Amino acid sequence: MECSLFSKPRDLFLDVVNPRDYVQIDSVSHMYQSLKNSVQKPLKMILLFGRPGTGKSMLLHKLHHDLSKHQKVLMFDIPIVDEDDFLRVLAQRIFGHSPREVMTLTRFLEIAEAVAYADVPIVLLDEAQLYSGSLMEKIRLISDARAIKFVITLHKTDKEDIIAKEHFQTRIWESIELQNATAEELKVYIQKKLLKANCFDVANMFNDKNMKLITALTKGNYRETNKLLFSLFSLYYWYEENNPTLIKYNALKLKWIEMAAIHTGLIRA
Amino acid sequence: MLDIRNLERRWLKYKIKSYAPHIAFASVGAVLLIALPYIWMDSDKPKSPLKTDRFFSTVSKKAPEIKPIVEESPTVLEPSMDFVQTFQTSVLETKRPLSSTIQTTKPIQQEVPIPKVLNLPDTSSLKTPLKSPPIVSIPPSDKSPSLNRNESKLDIESVERRFKDSSNPSLGLFIARYHYDHGNYSEAYNFALKINSINNKIDESWIIFSKSLVKLGNVEQAKKTLRFYISESNSESARSLLDSIERGTFK
Ligand SMILES: Nc1ncnc2c1ncn2[C@@H]1O[C@H](COP(=O)(O)OP(=O)(O)OP(=O)(O)O)[C@@H](O)[C@H]1O
Ligand SMILES: [Mg+2]
Repeated sequence: MECSLFSKPRDLFLDVVNPRDYVQIDSVSHMYQSLKNSVQKPLKMILLFGRPGTGKSMLLHKLHHDLSKHQKVLMFDIPIVDEDDFLRVLAQRIFGHSPREVMTLTRFLEIAEAVAYADVPIVLLDEAQLYSGSLMEKIRLISDARAIKFVITLHKTDKEDIIAKEHFQTRIWESIELQNATAEELKVYIQKKLLKANCFDVANMFNDKNMKLITALTKGNYRETNKLLFSLFSLYYWYEENNPTLIKYNALKLKWIEMAAIHTGLIRA
Repeated sequence: MLDIRNLERRWLKYKIKSYAPHIAFASVGAVLLIALPYIWMDSDKPKSPLKTDRFFSTVSKKAPEIKPIVEESPTVLEPSMDFVQTFQTSVLETKRPLSSTIQTTKPIQQEVPIPKVLNLPDTSSLKTPLKSPPIVSIPPSDKSPSLNRNESKLDIESVERRFKDSSNPSLGLFIARYHYDHGNYSEAYNFALKINSINNKIDESWIIFSKSLVKLGNVEQAKKTLRFYISESNSESARSLLDSIERGTFK
């Protein structure tokens, strides 16, 4: 039975990062714009930081997607923590150079200088907290030498990461902090996602009371919202198959939102 | 998948739990509401006569209006009857006769106004928490300990926790790679398997999976896996890995 009303919205909220699913939210597109501007400035390393699930990877993927139409951009969504490997991959993928010898920083900078692109190539590093301090220092030197411009994301969890952020900040850089969504923004996020996929009926089920509860439960975090809605629509899907008379199509049931929250662990019960 | 029945049960439990304090609070509040005037009456007896008189003369309009509501419940039926009477007799001049009739009915009632006025803020402060039942008790969000990125030693466990949380294949690959590089082949194998169940089109996870199999001594299984994956994906890197395993050059 693929004519289910809820299977499609459910799959919309799978927690995957795909630039094609990018949704324009005012504050985020504002940041995105300033991110794009910063990338064009000389000699800047750019830091994107924020709590888990605030959309850092999404923004980075979007940037990659948009920039790669015009210039040389390389994305590392999985960190390469070994320094030698890291430099090698860069030398190869950016400057088309695969040397046999051990790759030192000096050697790498020579290679970069020999190629000298008109536009400084851009490298995007997701999950920068996984790189070692000494590798980060090399990245900074490469950036200072104008061989490559880096945009990195840093996952902030608690105090220690803020310290880490400060550590970064003294060395750079421009930094942009991503935040959880406000109730308004979260509504925009959900509505746009649903409407983009033509799920009009389901989009209409979200009223202010529903949104208030959802925002309170997820604190406006995009990832938590994805998880919550994924299980909420799984629940609706189940009722649709097993007990359709219980479904009210004019609004979401607060009870079911809470059940979904119990399922995802947002409510402990 | 979703176990709806179980969820329904947990939801009910959650509701009961989240309302229990309010119900307890409400019943304590109700008991207090009923009992408080009497407690006050008893304790204030010696002071009251002087004050009440003055109070009555100045604010006589307010006090009697509030009185009958609480006063009704115990033995006193008279005041309410008076109230009805006065209503019937004097249509426009209700207020002044009211205070006078009440004054005559019972001496104790003169003392009542004070506790009542004092009572009001009390009851309201009791009521406010009842009105806004916090339906939502949210556990603190993601609290995975941070990675000490300045120390070069990596806290792989916290990355694993995050992977469990987010099911982000990139993180999974990072972990699988890490374990493979550190010679934990069974861990690498496990994580590669997990990644495949999230997304089975990632070259590297098949490669780590097969390489771990070889390291764990299961060469045949590794070759079989690779052949299968090559037939599905035409992956170059899988092919060259299979080659090197077959030629025995894989270390
Ligand atoms: N602007 C957006 N448009 C569409 N989806 C978004 C947007 N921002 C965030 N999301 C959704 O939120 C989810 C979490 O975002 P993302 O993975 O980018 O968070 P993060 O900040 O990188 O988290 P972490 O620190 O754990 O890596 C994504 O799967 C994506 O679906
Ligand atoms: Mg991320």
